[in-house]
Amino acid sequence: MYELRGVTKRYTRGKEVVDALAGVDLTIGSGDRLVIQGPTGGGKSTLLQMLGGLDRPTSGSVELDGTDMARLSEAKLTRVRSENIGFVFQSFNLIPTLTAQENVETALVPLGVKTKERRERAAAALESVGLAERLGHLPAELSGGQQQRVAIARALVKQPKVLLADEPTGNLDESMRDEIMDVLEAMWKEYGLTFIMVTHDSSIAKKAPRLATIRKGRITVKENAGA
Amino acid sequence: MFFTYLRRELRRRRKAALVVASGLALGIALVIVVSSVSSGMEKAQGKVLQSLYGLGTDMTVTKAAAPATGSSQRPRFNFDARDSDSDEEQSSDRVMVQGFQTLSASTVSKVDAQKGVADSVGGLSLQVIRIDGQFTRGQFKQDPDSGGNRQGGGPGTQQPPQGRVEGGGADFDVNNYSVYGTDVTKPALGPLTSSKITSGRTFKTSETDAKVVVADKSYAKEKKLKVGGTVTIKKVKYEVIGIATPDSGDAAANLYIPLKQAQTLSDSKNKVTTIYVKASDSQQIDSVKSTIQKNISGTTVTTSADLADTVSGSLSTASDLASNVGKWLSIAVLVAAFLVAGLLTSSAVSRRVREFGTLKALGWKSGRVTRQVVGEAIVNGLVGGALGIAIGLAGAYVVTEISPTLQAELGGSNGGSGGPGGGGPGGGVFGGPGRQTASKALDVALTAPVSLNTIVVAVALAVTGGLVAGAFGGWRASRLRPADALRRVE
Repeated sequence: MYELRGVTKRYTRGKEVVDALAGVDLTIGSGDRLVIQGPTGGGKSTLLQMLGGLDRPTSGSVELDGTDMARLSEAKLTRVRSENIGFVFQSFNLIPTLTAQENVETALVPLGVKTKERRERAAAALESVGLAERLGHLPAELSGGQQQRVAIARALVKQPKVLLADEPTGNLDESMRDEIMDVLEAMWKEYGLTFIMVTHDSSIAKKAPRLATIRKGRITVKENAGA
Repeated sequence: MFFTYLRRELRRRRKAALVVASGLALGIALVIVVSSVSSGMEKAQGKVLQSLYGLGTDMTVTKAAAPATGSSQRPRFNFDARDSDSDEEQSSDRVMVQGFQTLSASTVSKVDAQKGVADSVGGLSLQVIRIDGQFTRGQFKQDPDSGGNRQGGGPGTQQPPQGRVEGGGADFDVNNYSVYGTDVTKPALGPLTSSKITSGRTFKTSETDAKVVVADKSYAKEKKLKVGGTVTIKKVKYEVIGIATPDSGDAAANLYIPLKQAQTLSDSKNKVTTIYVKASDSQQIDSVKSTIQKNISGTTVTTSADLADTVSGSLSTASDLASNVGKWLSIAVLVAAFLVAGLLTSSAVSRRVREFGTLKALGWKSGRVTRQVVGEAIVNGLVGGALGIAIGLAGAYVVTEISPTLQAELGGSNGGSGGPGGGGPGGGVFGGPGRQTASKALDVALTAPVSLNTIVVAVALAVTGGLVAGAFGGWRASRLRPADALRRVE
């Protein structure tokens, strides 16, 4: 699925040069579940953005199913994101003025799905995360856990190949964290998608079959046989 | 999704939206009020000018200014003093050409032949001063003690009688009025067209030298003239055939008579004071003016625009205010409103960085995000436009309801010939520069008519305001890269 070769990302602020990624080589197979860990500022989120086509590397290649996303035009990269990649963010990133159902629909808008079908699919996605009763609620009317479920439904409604989650439980308490992790695991299993997650939470990392650690832009990957 | 998202966002930020819309509304309302008041000013000026020119006249041709020729042209009246017991009234009429400058009647056909002239007609403006009254001689009263009648004085001491003159003097009435000699063969042009015949009839085209007169309503009322009655000018009796009421302001003259009669009365055979010209194309008035001035020497051509420049008084002040202060104030407020709308929209985009970054991460193209921002800004603009139109219409309505009276003064003394009565009603302005001897003041009610064009301009401004604001915000939104947007809020 993913093939990263010699990926670097350099940020320059005045005279200061920071290598967020310093020659990352990584292979992720279809249906894999990879957890990325590391200290703050180590390059975790930067790597996730490369994988999600949100940013381009300074050098190296990021291939998704044989296509180097680093070389794609902005329009094609946008298309790849809209069709293949689902995102879940730490802060949920829901549109505050739209209802839960409308928020989920936003993921189908770029695909040109007709209004009626869009509504049906959004309602089904929300039902699958246990929010069938909350379709018409605004984000402010939902708890943190429910908001993250809406975000998960939004990420999965288009049936992407990849689900990228950036600290999805970072803003939740323990019970909510477990609830969300259960939902994510269930979805991963149900849809057979590739699931890549950045987390600081060691208890979650321990359960991951593959664990990548990034420090100062360099990555090491461990297989977790016990997970 | 576009409209749902747009509606919800506008509702969420209704305070900010109201600020943007209010700014635009203020600018647009000002534009409507200023342009409608300006249009009211033009209308008022038009009324003033029409009262002088008559309908359809684009310019007048008069004799070019000539230096004053001293007192020879001043009217002179000679009366004999009568005995005190005489009750005989003496009267004397003096008919003068207004401004004392005339053109040959043949100039009318010369003007008519010029390129761009659709029609022209000559007229003769006269001023009549009539003095009626008794002029009695004083009587000598001898002093009873004076020598002339004294008895007993020694021989050789006879002295002339002593005494003084008592009684005598003058009791007279001055009647000063204006007469306009009109070319009855061309009733569609000239000052009489600015009045309506409200009683009797106007001239027949055959009455080129008839002893008939049309009287101005106010003058007829003052002198108790009625249709069928007579009026005497310089011992010539004229039959009153009609009463004319001016459409606005004062009439051009007190009495209107056929041109030939006016020429005879003033000993100005084949002379006219003013030629009224209608241009073929109202857009070409300046070029027609140049052509006439170039081809017919010794003439002064005055267009409506020239005449409008001579309007003074509160109408002129208000007009200047509307066209200068009002225009620039409107522009300043509009520019400020556009800028504020743009900056507020741009700032709103900054506050929604995460939102737009998320949408871009979900696969929304930059164009779609930009359209959303521009759409919101345009709706703000339209709301502002609707508010502005409502406020502007209300403002224009209030101005029209109040109808403030403005005074227009035309022409003014510049020390031309200096003769008495140089300008009666409608007098001074016709003579052209150098010959104006009196000003004409008219009271005009100001209105503020709102034209469809003004509304169209207001809507266009509202959309433009929205687009300007949208351009600010849209430009900012389109430049957002999803990674930067999401990184910035972490």
